[in-house]
Amino acid sequence: MAKKKRSRSESSSGTPAAVLTPRDKKTINTLITLADEIVEAADKKKDPHLDIPARTLTNVKYNNTARIIEMGKGTNRRQLFNLTQAKAYMQTLLVAEGTKRLLDQGKTTSIRGLYYLLKHTIEGTKEETFDDQADCDPIIEDLEVTLTTLREELHVYASNRGAMVGPLTLTDSGDEIDCSRMGSGGYSIPSIVEADVIQFGSHRAEFILHVEKDTVWRRFNEDKFWRKHNCILIHGGGQPPRGVRRLLSRMHNELTYRGQKLPVFCLLDNDPWGYYIYSVLKQGSINLAYESKRMAIPDARYIGLRSKDFEECKLTPSVQIRLNEQDIKRAKQIAGYPWFAKKKEWQREIKQMLDNGFKLEVESLISKDISYVTETYVPERLKAQDWLGD
Amino acid sequence: MPSTKTRPASRRRRDSSADSDASTDSAEDKAGEDAASANGAAEEHDDSAPSNGKPAGPKRRTTAHEMATRQRDISVSEFFAKNRHLLGFDNPRKALLTTIKEAVDNSLDACEEAGILPEIWVRIEPTADNRFRAAVQDNGPGIVKKQIPLIFGKLLYGSKFHRLRMSRGQQGIGISAAGMYGVLTTGQPIKIVSRISKGKPAHYYEIKIDTKINQPEILNGRGEGVDIPPGAKGQAEFDRHGIVWVEADHGTRVTIELEAIYKRGRGSVDEYLEQTAIANPHVTIHYTDPEGNESTYARSAEELPVEPKEIKPHPYGIELGNLITMLSDTKESTVTAFLTQGFSRVSHTVARKVCEGAKVSPRARPATIGRQEADSLFKAIQETKILPPATDCLSPIGEPLLLKGLYHVVPAEFYTAATRPPAVYRGNPFQIEVALAYGGAATTQKVPLELLTELLRESDARTLRQFLINTFAGLGSEAADAILKEADQGTRSSPKGLKPKEIQKLHEAMRSTSLESSQTMNVLRYANRVPLQFQPGACAITQTIMGTNWRSYGLTQSRGSLPSGPITVLVHMASVWVPFTSESKEAVAAYPEIEKEIRLALQTVGRKLGMYLNRRLKVRQEGDRRNIFLRYLREVATAVSTINQSDRDKLYEQLLLVAKRKTAQADVKLDKHGKPIEAPEEDLGEHVIIVDPTQMADALRGGSPPQETMDAVLTDARRTLVKSKETLREITERRQLADEQTASAKHSRGTSDLKNRNKN
Repeated sequence: MAKKKRSRSESSSGTPAAVLTPRDKKTINTLITLADEIVEAADKKKDPHLDIPARTLTNVKYNNTARIIEMGKGTNRRQLFNLTQAKAYMQTLLVAEGTKRLLDQGKTTSIRGLYYLLKHTIEGTKEETFDDQADCDPIIEDLEVTLTTLREELHVYASNRGAMVGPLTLTDSGDEIDCSRMGSGGYSIPSIVEADVIQFGSHRAEFILHVEKDTVWRRFNEDKFWRKHNCILIHGGGQPPRGVRRLLSRMHNELTYRGQKLPVFCLLDNDPWGYYIYSVLKQGSINLAYESKRMAIPDARYIGLRSKDFEECKLTPSVQIRLNEQDIKRAKQIAGYPWFAKKKEWQREIKQMLDNGFKLEVESLISKDISYVTETYVPERLKAQDWLGD
Repeated sequence: MPSTKTRPASRRRRDSSADSDASTDSAEDKAGEDAASANGAAEEHDDSAPSNGKPAGPKRRTTAHEMATRQRDISVSEFFAKNRHLLGFDNPRKALLTTIKEAVDNSLDACEEAGILPEIWVRIEPTADNRFRAAVQDNGPGIVKKQIPLIFGKLLYGSKFHRLRMSRGQQGIGISAAGMYGVLTTGQPIKIVSRISKGKPAHYYEIKIDTKINQPEILNGRGEGVDIPPGAKGQAEFDRHGIVWVEADHGTRVTIELEAIYKRGRGSVDEYLEQTAIANPHVTIHYTDPEGNESTYARSAEELPVEPKEIKPHPYGIELGNLITMLSDTKESTVTAFLTQGFSRVSHTVARKVCEGAKVSPRARPATIGRQEADSLFKAIQETKILPPATDCLSPIGEPLLLKGLYHVVPAEFYTAATRPPAVYRGNPFQIEVALAYGGAATTQKVPLELLTELLRESDARTLRQFLINTFAGLGSEAADAILKEADQGTRSSPKGLKPKEIQKLHEAMRSTSLESSQTMNVLRYANRVPLQFQPGACAITQTIMGTNWRSYGLTQSRGSLPSGPITVLVHMASVWVPFTSESKEAVAAYPEIEKEIRLALQTVGRKLGMYLNRRLKVRQEGDRRNIFLRYLREVATAVSTINQSDRDKLYEQLLLVAKRKTAQADVKLDKHGKPIEAPEEDLGEHVIIVDPTQMADALRGGSPPQETMDAVLTDARRTLVKSKETLREITERRQLADEQTASAKHSRGTSDLKNRNKN
């Protein structure tokens, strides 16, 4: 992916002294504070450390009123002079340094770009600063939570994933885009969809339909489901990336139909991973709990596939996929999450899947008819208001 | 045909029952049967002829009478001349080694018995293609004139067979067999020079062994030998006979010319002498190899080993046949006297108990004891409680000298040794000693280029891989492969066809390849201070090492094989009678008592090695920790200074200080209350030498030839001699303690036994 140039820094591209937005200045200040603390510690002959908010299930709590996952106060201390943490500490500072350089130059890069920017051989050794990108990605997240900034504020973005079509116009980096004229591929959703990049224009949509993956999304697009039902059709390529989640959240909150927020419906596989995608869309992820406020859609609804669908839709047994041990473990784990624990409908749903002993993919509906899902399944469920919500 | 077969058979049965009506003993019965069958065969021939006119079956080729004319005595010498492989003369290369070995062993025995610090001159010179003149001279007491021909010219003649005393030679075969081999292959007689004291003439003999009668045949001086006067005149005469006599007041020189092949490496004369020097630090050996290179293994100990005592056999070790022979040979007049005089540890009370148990009168004359009574005597002996044999007859090398010897010859970084208390197998006292050296440069890393070139030229290995494995002790196939890969050589290329450049590359590869993990343990086996160089697989020592779990001491070892690592283990068995598996004395037989003692000794040194390796690992980890911090500090300092434009170098220096303080802190262990405790160094105990490996490596890296460097390193005062001296009293106390514990823990397994000892 080519480097994207942010519109506001066009004037100064290539030179270190870029025009800084107030937000950039704030981010730079937090980075400098971080560095100053280290100098201070070293001055006092103390070992420097970073307190990184823990991104674990134990350090998130479910806010019952806001109905989102919030990050707790638990932190993990990362020390330079600790054998197991020394390298991670060094890496964290490298990432901080890299983002500082990006900010100074007014440029953005992908997380993979940042990985290459920072990857080099440590002086006097054969050791690499980062062995692969998987080493680098969690460190970026660590820095985000430590500085309570967002990835995009650090001028880092993830690769595009997810696509969207629908009766909606928007402006992306100054370009007008009509989402009803996107052909078969749809509008590719960028990773940074903040208001300074994307501004919404007009729309005629009555709801948003989020489907799990590209293949199902194509079926809906080809059948022009969105035109027939006046909806925005979007997918996240499995577990939706932040861009998709943020865009969903923004559309849900900023666009209205008859004075109401645009409702969001999710069509996902009937398996633990499908449930978890819904959970992430609805109340935020454990990993990015600190961004739940900006991303979660507590009102999102789950229309399918449901554990009851095998019988209700009279599917053939050949479309069943047996639950493996991992599935069962994950399902039980999900049922135990505080945000599912008290919801009887969800408990029943998960229990039924476990009782069935098999999972179902959305594509299994094709065994009835190619367009069964677009012409029968979803319209009927919408009409009957047959979904799982709160 | 069946009729003729059954008839003599039935008669035979009748005959035999008639012959041995009184006896029901199975052995006699068998003997009778054998005799009868011989009769039967003869009779069969006699009566088959008249009963049927035509000859039935194949024609008889010979008759018993005819056969009898060909049946005669076989002389020992004839037997061994034909079966020379039994004595270690299977191939020309081994023949040379065996010859030198037998001569050196005899010399050392003689010197020690006479109380002389041994000095040995070994000289091998080529005389023709595949012919060498091997000569060994000692500074021993010399041999009286009339004994010389018998000692060197008669098999099974010697002083050592009939007594139970710890000595190198046992059977009285070795040196005469070597002489016989020489005569057989070159026709040259064995030449002996011996002088008894200063100023006296030296006796000079040229001897051939008459294999038919096993008697020496003296060739010079009309069968009387020649006396050579001392001084210049004598020297001239020696020169005339082609003998290089080193002028000495007393001593013996043996010269044997034989067909042989000289090759270095494993199983060579060089290896034998080196290993002998290890186990005999009181010996000086001067060695001139076939190329004229002279080397000397100087003694590192100025004291002779304690003189081993001769003992009488222990009753438990005797066999029934032996007992019967002894009974008929004894001069004692009563059985009690026979028992108390003929055996060790038999008091009058014990002898009476034995007699009671056997229901034999204690006053009976030994000569009148019949087979039956002997049998019951034998059984009674086994059932009577008799003290184990006195073990002070053994003369172990001892831990300090073992360490000295190993340290002198094997370069390593860690040495330890252990001597077990004496034990008994089949009534024979024996004692196991183990020394261990760990680390240091591998043999491949100290070979100079010239020597390697020579070795390659001499080698008859078909592939380079084979060459490496065969030539260098302790080099496994994995290590050989690693070296060859480094040298860009195929494993199957021939060692002969290498160009100088390729040899140089191989040499570099050998020096640079780290073999720490791919080396296998080098095992040095000794019996009564004599190195055992062949048949490692058949030897109880190797088998026990393989059967010991070395993994718990920090080494890697696959099941049922030797552990790997840069490690040398020396195992010495001292005994009045070492149970060899064959006459060529190459492997120790596996008696359970011997294996147990070896195992316990190995575990003792193994535990110390484990402690050392553990400690080394800890030091290394501490170093690693500091390194890790230091490695990242610069990165961190650079990152921070980029972010806030602080002074990078200043920050780095400050962080460095913190790092030093932090790691120092981390090294201190804290007790329950968070207070630092003095971590007690695990005590490695006595008999341990630790050499600082870095200094050794530094010295090795220098450009000078490795052998010299090694010597320099060794003679340098850089060694840390931890503890290797202890008073005699301490030794005895420790042994007693060990003895008690071994007794108390007899039923528990070896390891727990050791643990108990450890606690104390």
